[in-house]
Amino acid sequence: MTLAYPSQRVAYPYFVIALLLFVLQVIVGIWLALSYAVTMPQGLVDILPFSTTRAFHTNLLVLWLLLGFMGSTYFMVPEESERDIFSPALAYFQLALLVATGVAALVGFVFGWTKGKPLLEIPFPLDYLVVVGALIFLFNVGMTMLRGKRWTVIQGSLLGGLIFLAVMYLFNLPFYANLSIDWYYWWWVIHLWVEGAWELVAAALTAWILIKITGVPRETVEKWLYVELGLFLFTGIAGTGHHYYWLGAPKYWLWVGGVFSALEPVPILLMLVDASHYVRNRKGQLNGKLVFTFAVGMAILHFVGAGLWGFAHTLPQINYYTHGSQVTVAHGHIAFFGAYVLLNVMFFYYAMPKLKGLTAYDERRGTLAFWWLSSTMIAMTLAFTIAGVLQTYIERVMGLGYMTAQAQMRFWFAILVVLGFTFLAGVLLAVVDILTLRPAAFTRKPA
Amino acid sequence: MSWKTARWIFYLGTLISLVLFLALTLDTHRQIRALTHADRLSEQVIAGKKLWQKYNCNDCHTILGFGSYYGPDMTKAYWRRGAAGIKAVIRAPEQFTTWRKMPRLALMDQEMNDLVAFLQWTSEIDTQDWPPQDQKFRPAAARAVALGASPGALLFQEKGCFACHRIYETGGQLGPDLTHVGARLNYETIERVLTDPRSVNPQGTMPPTPLSHEERDELSAFLAKMK
Repeated sequence: MTLAYPSQRVAYPYFVIALLLFVLQVIVGIWLALSYAVTMPQGLVDILPFSTTRAFHTNLLVLWLLLGFMGSTYFMVPEESERDIFSPALAYFQLALLVATGVAALVGFVFGWTKGKPLLEIPFPLDYLVVVGALIFLFNVGMTMLRGKRWTVIQGSLLGGLIFLAVMYLFNLPFYANLSIDWYYWWWVIHLWVEGAWELVAAALTAWILIKITGVPRETVEKWLYVELGLFLFTGIAGTGHHYYWLGAPKYWLWVGGVFSALEPVPILLMLVDASHYVRNRKGQLNGKLVFTFAVGMAILHFVGAGLWGFAHTLPQINYYTHGSQVTVAHGHIAFFGAYVLLNVMFFYYAMPKLKGLTAYDERRGTLAFWWLSSTMIAMTLAFTIAGVLQTYIERVMGLGYMTAQAQMRFWFAILVVLGFTFLAGVLLAVVDILTLRPAAFTRKPA
Repeated sequence: MSWKTARWIFYLGTLISLVLFLALTLDTHRQIRALTHADRLSEQVIAGKKLWQKYNCNDCHTILGFGSYYGPDMTKAYWRRGAAGIKAVIRAPEQFTTWRKMPRLALMDQEMNDLVAFLQWTSEIDTQDWPPQDQKFRPAAARAVALGASPGALLFQEKGCFACHRIYETGGQLGPDLTHVGARLNYETIERVLTDPRSVNPQGTMPPTPLSHEERDELSAFLAKMK
C-alpha cells in the first residue's frame, strides 16, 4: 500500500534520527546514575564533569522529542490539509540544519562552549540556527495548511502549539542581569513549553491518531479538543506561578500558582477519559492492537506522571521542602515519559508501517517493548521518589546536611543504574523493532 | 456539551489566564527590584553571574532551587561559607569533597571575587525563607553573638566557620560544637587548628582557614575565651 501523499515520506529520516538520539540519551542517563552511585575520580571530573554529561542527557531528550514532533507533523499535515507538503526539500534541509546544530552543541559542551543555563545550554550562535530551523518548519507547515483544502481544529491546535513553542523559545535569548528575572523568563520557555505549547501539539497528534484508529467521528474529537485546550491553557498559563514561589517574586504567586497548578491535572484526566472512551467504543479493529495499547498507556502515564506526580509537590506547603530535589527528578522522568516519549513512539508505530508499505505488521516485539519500557520507568520513578523523599526529610526537614542526605540516597542510585540498563534494553528493542518492522505472520507469503 | 460551549471554554479560559498572568507579570516587575535589591546589582555582581554561566555551575548545583542536583544549593552559599570559604572551595575543591567530586576550575583571583559578589547578592534575595536547611546560617543570628563581643566573633561568622561548627546552638553539625572549645583546647592549639588542622587531628577533614596574622590572633583569642 502506498502513502496517501508521497511527501509524507520526509517523516522517515526524522523518525530514524529521533530514535537513535533516544538511545544515546538513555546511555548517557546510565552514566549520570553511575555518577551518583560511585565516586568518579577527580581527574575524570576535571575534564568531563557531571554538568557536561547532564547537558548531553537533557539536550538529547529535547532534540529527539522535537524531531519526533516535527516528523509526526510532516506525516500528519498532508492528510489533514489534503495536499502534499509545501516543500519536501525544505523539510530535509531543516532536518540537516537541526541535527548539525545539535551535534555542534554536544561537541561544544565538552570544550566548555555553553550558555550555562540549565536545559538551555546551547550557546547564542547555535540558538540562532535553531530559530532559523524553527522558522523554516513553521513556514513549511503553515504554507501547507494555508494552501490546503480544508481547515480543521486539529490543524489549529497543532499549528498553534508549534507557533507558541517557537515564540516562547525567544525568551531564552537575552542575557538577564538579575538572576530572579532570568529564572522568571526561563520558565516562560520551560513551563510554557511542557505545560503549554507541547500539550497543544500532543493533544492534536493524539486526537488525529484516535480518529484514525478508533473511527470516532471527527466532530466529537474536535469538540472535546476545544475543551481540553481551554483547560490546558486556563490552568497552565497562570499555573506558571508554581515556579515563582521562592525566587524573589511577590507572595501572591503562592496563591495564584498553587491554585491554578493544582488544577493542571484536570485536562490531562479529560484526555485520559476521552482516549479510553473512544478506544472502548471503537468501530472495528484497524491494523492490530499495538497503537491502541500505546494510546491508552500514554494517556494513563501522562496523567500519572504530569498530573499525579506533579500535583504531589505543586502546593507551596510541600514544595518549600521538596523544591530542587530528587522529587523534581522523579516527576520529570515519569511526566516526560508518559506525555511525550510514549506519544512519539506511538506515532512512530502508527506511521512507520505506512512508510514501509505494510498493512499489518508483527506486533509482538512492539508490545513487549511497551510493557518493558513502561514498567521500568515506573520502577525508576519509584526509586527517584524514594531518594527524593529521603533528601527532603534528611537535608531539608532535619537539616542534617547535603552530603549526609546523599549518603542515604546512594543505594537508590545504585538501583537506578541497574534499572537504567534495563530501560536501555527496552529502548533498543523498540528502536530495532520500529526500524525493522516485519509483515504480520498471516500476511507473510508461504515459503 | 455543545460546540458553542466548547469554544467558549477555550477562548474564555485562555483569555482569563493570559490576562491575569500578564497583569501579575507587570506587577512582579514593579516589585522585584525591591525584593531582589536590584540597586545592588553592580558591574561586579553581573560579571560574577557571567562567570557562573561560563563555568556551567548550574548544571551541578541548584540556585534558587533550579538547576541540577549533584551539588548543594547555592542560594545561601554566602551565608554558609562566607567570601573566604567560597574561594577556598573553588581553589581546592578536593579538600572539601569526599565521595562526590567537584571539578578544579582555573579561576583567577579577580574572577573569584566577582563570583563571590554574585553569590553574596543572591543570598540577599527575599526568597520567603527558602531554602529551609540554610536558615540556620542567617547572619543575624551570628551577629547577635558578635554584639558586644570581640572582632574575633565577627571573623568567626565571616570566615564561614558556622558552615561546619555550632556555637550557642547556631551553625552546622559537620564539625564539633565550639561553645566550650576554650575549656578543651588552649590558645596555641587553637592557633594550630586554624592554620594547619591536620597537625592537631590527622583524621580530620577540616580545611585550613585563610587568615592574616592579625585575624588569626583575634579569632584564636575569641575561641580560647569560649569556656
